[in-house]
Amino acid sequence: MILSTLRKTMAVAAFGCMIALSPASPAQADNPQKATTFIQELGGKAIDTITDKSLAEEERLSKFRTLLNQNFDVPGIGRFVLGRYWRTATPEQQQEYLKLFEESIVRTYAARFREYSGEKLAVDNARADGDRFMLVDSKIQRPSGPPVAVTWRLFNDNGGFKIVDVVVEGVSMSVTQRSDYSSVIQSNGGNFDALLKAMRERLSRV
Amino acid sequence: MTQSTSYFSRIGAGFFGMAAGLLLLSGCATMGGTPEEKAAQAEVNDPLEIPNRFVFALNETVDTFVLRPVAVTYDFWMPEPGKDAVRNFLDYLRSPVILANDLFQGEWDRAETTATRFVINTAVLGVYDLAADYGHEKHSEDFGQTLALHGVGEGPYLVLPLIGPSNPRDAVGFGVDMVLDPLNWYAWNTDRDWIGYTRAGATAVDARARSLEALDDVKANSLDYYAAIRSLYRQRRAAQIGNQRGADSTADGASDAYQDYLPGGTDAKTR
Repeated sequence: MILSTLRKTMAVAAFGCMIALSPASPAQADNPQKATTFIQELGGKAIDTITDKSLAEEERLSKFRTLLNQNFDVPGIGRFVLGRYWRTATPEQQQEYLKLFEESIVRTYAARFREYSGEKLAVDNARADGDRFMLVDSKIQRPSGPPVAVTWRLFNDNGGFKIVDVVVEGVSMSVTQRSDYSSVIQSNGGNFDALLKAMRERLSRV
Repeated sequence: MTQSTSYFSRIGAGFFGMAAGLLLLSGCATMGGTPEEKAAQAEVNDPLEIPNRFVFALNETVDTFVLRPVAVTYDFWMPEPGKDAVRNFLDYLRSPVILANDLFQGEWDRAETTATRFVINTAVLGVYDLAADYGHEKHSEDFGQTLALHGVGEGPYLVLPLIGPSNPRDAVGFGVDMVLDPLNWYAWNTDRDWIGYTRAGATAVDARARSLEALDDVKANSLDYYAAIRSLYRQRRAAQIGNQRGADSTADGASDAYQDYLPGGTDAKTR
């Protein structure tokens, strides 16, 4: 019941950002107007791309990867998700982790993308959260059922924006993932390699 | 009345006994280790993880073999208006409990909305949300949220058999909501147990059908499904409790968590 509101729209929220064709807006980053425009444009372009049937699966994945890296702070999110365990990893482990993290986030969003069925993104407003972040509130309107509230956490990145978190009906994707990854390391007695192994296994299965 | 009392005491005592027992148990659970380990334990808030995982696995088995297949079938065969009608009717039946909790929380406007909705939707026997068409939007409340508003902490994470993710506060809230419900009193007083069972079954199938994709997604994209669900439940509850009171719509603590955020994943000193 609690999770019902997530549904497939979580997917669309995610795609919204992934598929946008343009890089982050170069304009004044501390302007709420720019932040809402950033998300709005991403959403619009995302839906255009979703409905583009000419893309093969391979092309789609590589496009995802580019868009993801343009619009999301992937290494930052990856490190955030590890929390206190980042420091327990060797530089080599950190490197491999970030690679696996990027790969898994690309696959995740690509899979969610496939479930698109006519949802629309409506951006409401943006507000500052501290000096560094903007929170953009939006709603995903579904063909049936009530709309889903999605909040985007943006980092002001030297005149542009990078998405650092997606919050669906009060549930932060990054916080959830942090809990998930920490648990894997913890239940393996703090062994960081256990996480890398689990991530590799997960990727080879998809 | 004797029947109802015995039924009530069975259900009620069961719930309160269980919650009280678990509170005691959790109090006994030792919080040891280094400060870092203690911080991590506080974050997951799950001293009963081993029994919780056991119950979670049992629930998963029931879900895999019974609830999910039924929900998939229902979702596939029942036309959208039918699903809406079921959901509206279940929500309609819950109105008295929502009203009671609105009042307990001193939310007079919301209480009025709930009462108005009930009257309007009675005209269509609760199967259509006519009130929403007149601008009286639906909202939900439960006694767990009422307790939270009055300062009761969530307590340790709990996974209850069949009910799923919870905590002592929400488990007590669940029991209280059952006792608050006039329909349950009617069923108990007239020895119509089937009412409770049918409603519980319908509620479970409806809720499961509406979360099919979300849960499939979480399962496919988490390494430890149990831990992901635990986090989801706690964030969701925090949002439900904070949201409607003008608080930030993002998860509690998320803004705090981002105080230490390192863009690009690199330390400030190395940039």
